Amino acid sequence: MEPPKEKTSAEKSTEVAKRIRRLVKEMAAEAHEAKAKGTPIAYFFIVSFYDEIIRAMGIVPWGTENYAGLCAVKMDAERFLLKAEAEGYPNYLCSYATCILGFDAMRRELGGMPPGAPDGGLEYPSMMLGTGMMICDPRYKWYQAAQRYNNVPMHIHGLLTPTTDANLQEVQDYYIKYNTEELKGLVDFLERQTGRKMDWDQLSHVTDLAERTQRVWWEAYQLRKAIPAPMPTEDAVNTMVPGWFMMGTQLALDFYQELYNEVKYRVDHKIGVISDEKYRLMWGMSLPPWYGLVLFNYFESLGAVFPIEVVYHPPPPVDIPPRISHPLERIAWRTFNQLTHWHEKARKHGTDPFVEWFLELIEDYKIDGVVLHQAMTCRTIHTGQLHQIRMLRKYSDIPVLLLEGDIVDVRNYNEAATHDKIDAFIEVVDAYKKRKHS
Amino acid sequence: MVQGLARVEQIYQDRGQRVKELKAEGRKVVGYFCSLTPVEVITAVDLVPYRIMGNMRQPITHTDAYLETIACPFTRSCLDIALKGGYDFLDGFVMPHACDNIVKLYDIWGYNIKHSYAHFVNVPHTLSPASFEFFEAELETFRRSLERFSGREITTEKLTRSIQLHNEQRALVRTLYQLRKQDPPLLSGAEVTKVIVAVMSTPVTEANELLRGVIKEVKERSKGCQKKPARLMVCGTGNDDITFIEMVEESGANVVIDDLCFGTKPYWYEVEVSDNPLASIARSYLEKINCPRTYRQSPGSHQEDLEKRFGYLYDFAKEFKVNGVILYILRYCDTHALDAPDVKEYLVGKGLPVLEIEGDYPTPSPIRLKTRVQAFLEMMS
Repeated sequence: MEPPKEKTSAEKSTEVAKRIRRLVKEMAAEAHEAKAKGTPIAYFFIVSFYDEIIRAMGIVPWGTENYAGLCAVKMDAERFLLKAEAEGYPNYLCSYATCILGFDAMRRELGGMPPGAPDGGLEYPSMMLGTGMMICDPRYKWYQAAQRYNNVPMHIHGLLTPTTDANLQEVQDYYIKYNTEELKGLVDFLERQTGRKMDWDQLSHVTDLAERTQRVWWEAYQLRKAIPAPMPTEDAVNTMVPGWFMMGTQLALDFYQELYNEVKYRVDHKIGVISDEKYRLMWGMSLPPWYGLVLFNYFESLGAVFPIEVVYHPPPPVDIPPRISHPLERIAWRTFNQLTHWHEKARKHGTDPFVEWFLELIEDYKIDGVVLHQAMTCRTIHTGQLHQIRMLRKYSDIPVLLLEGDIVDVRNYNEAATHDKIDAFIEVVDAYKKRKHS
Repeated sequence: MVQGLARVEQIYQDRGQRVKELKAEGRKVVGYFCSLTPVEVITAVDLVPYRIMGNMRQPITHTDAYLETIACPFTRSCLDIALKGGYDFLDGFVMPHACDNIVKLYDIWGYNIKHSYAHFVNVPHTLSPASFEFFEAELETFRRSLERFSGREITTEKLTRSIQLHNEQRALVRTLYQLRKQDPPLLSGAEVTKVIVAVMSTPVTEANELLRGVIKEVKERSKGCQKKPARLMVCGTGNDDITFIEMVEESGANVVIDDLCFGTKPYWYEVEVSDNPLASIARSYLEKINCPRTYRQSPGSHQEDLEKRFGYLYDFAKEFKVNGVILYILRYCDTHALDAPDVKEYLVGKGLPVLEIEGDYPTPSPIRLKTRVQAFLEMMS
């Protein structure tokens, strides 16, 4: 008999967030069904900024990071991580990547799904779609490495962003042009692979849907400024799933409309995450420890709630010049404007776009402390945090906690030490809050 | 002034010495990272490009508060030197979009180390037509930025002259490498590393003169290195110090060729001289520098993919009569580490034994590594 698995996920507050697990199961079921029917399945990455194109082409996308996170939540990642290590991938590499590389290796070795894999396993893809972005080298290197197990058509989309010190007026045109051309290249690739032609009207429709969805999602999160906090970060790391993995679908739009309605109801009726909200914290730009989301409930046991987070936050609404009508150009303009939204402010202040965003959220959501998590296998997001803290302190004396762990690899995590750090941090936050209000 | 290898030794021991002299004479010095920085543009405006390096012999003491320990140890060492004032003589710095580590370092360096000039050159990851066009536009932005900083115009003629000078340098380095083909080679791997470090620390015209002197001196040697049973190729990440290669050579091997950032990578190609020098630079840097950070689309079988990506390594092996390979990858280098199983599979498939070493910077224990290298050499024999 197997020992009972420890609880990893946190108790959620909103009813809508509680539906996410079912949605994730449905995503997996859709992929299994697609496989059976011969519908193309594409591995892809979160925050690739071209989800609409995949949807408009009738391809079933499967977020491989999402599946690695699921393995971690289910405490079923270690066998895949160990397999990847045995294949020669060191344990310091992105554990999303090594988890799935291990999975791929095992699936090939077994000639089928690893037994008992969460949600029936990750289907063999028809193609893999990576992205060569400003950060996250694994977004193209991981799939390139996975070719030793999968050997399927693969496409890397180039998407670059200027640095904070760049003069946006000087570089904007060729950055947007580059993304537009690369999006055309992606469409060409998908047309070749599927034998289908892009239906541009359908892409326009899906793009409209995506933009409406992003706006409703953003507006729902604006409601979270309320006191007491109506919806916490442990819900948001779930409610991001339709936004980052189902964008461009009616389902995603309906989901965020329902989320908006529920959060509004909770705000109107002053229903908080916890009954006695003492401290309001912000989860910074850090990926969460998927095997240990229950830590949010530990914060709550000490009277601390997370009304907002930077990670997985919906992109800000941005203006697109009215003359831009082609859907690929619209996507390129929107992406550029979203990715550079805080650049001018950061340039003027000599800071960093994330820090500018932090400062806005701290003010708007009445935050008493900031929590960051250093995921040991992810340099993409988790190097530069010390720099962010240093700059943040230039403008604010708000307490900051830096936790250590990982996204998938629980071997990098020490729960007792994490709780000790949280205990000490809450004392600091308490003193800060009293000082601020005295 | 001493010439040839004696001069190389002087510069290797005190890398900043020459550029500091030039600075005292009124020249401006621009530090840069990585083989992907288009040095031709810097030289064209009469600034002195100076490759930023770490210090293998100096422990990292200041960086922990600024850059996480999970970051590339080489970039951490570079930052450490800068935080301690070791790069105060630089007037500016340029970083290309090489990898996540460098992208993050750009902001941190710019915020904490005050130079008069900073510029980031964005480099696409793919070889699509749009990527070449983008890179050319980005180089145009870089050109304008350097013009503003220097107060001088970068004309097509100046760029062309600069391309010619750097091409000449690349040709000289390749000539130097030819002297390693014979058995035993005429100069050691450690000597070559010192030459490369010296060249990267000296303005191009002087460095070319230095290279000519070194080539002449080495050609005149009556005998080269001691003959050893193993002729190795060292591949992998940045290694600007002789410690590792010297240890390998002391263990019973001659290192005769490499695929390293402080080795062949910046020198094994040329930039075409054309009417559009920036387009030529963009094409060459993106297409011809074999770095795992640039994705090469390769439809076909897995074996065809490996051939396309790593065929040049086997060409090196054949040309330099290599009978073993050391894959030296610095810890936390995602791009190289994700390639490593493929590189190994490819080279082993070609009949070459491969030893993979996870390096650190500074290297913690050369003795421990020496044991592994010796065991590898024994296995080879």
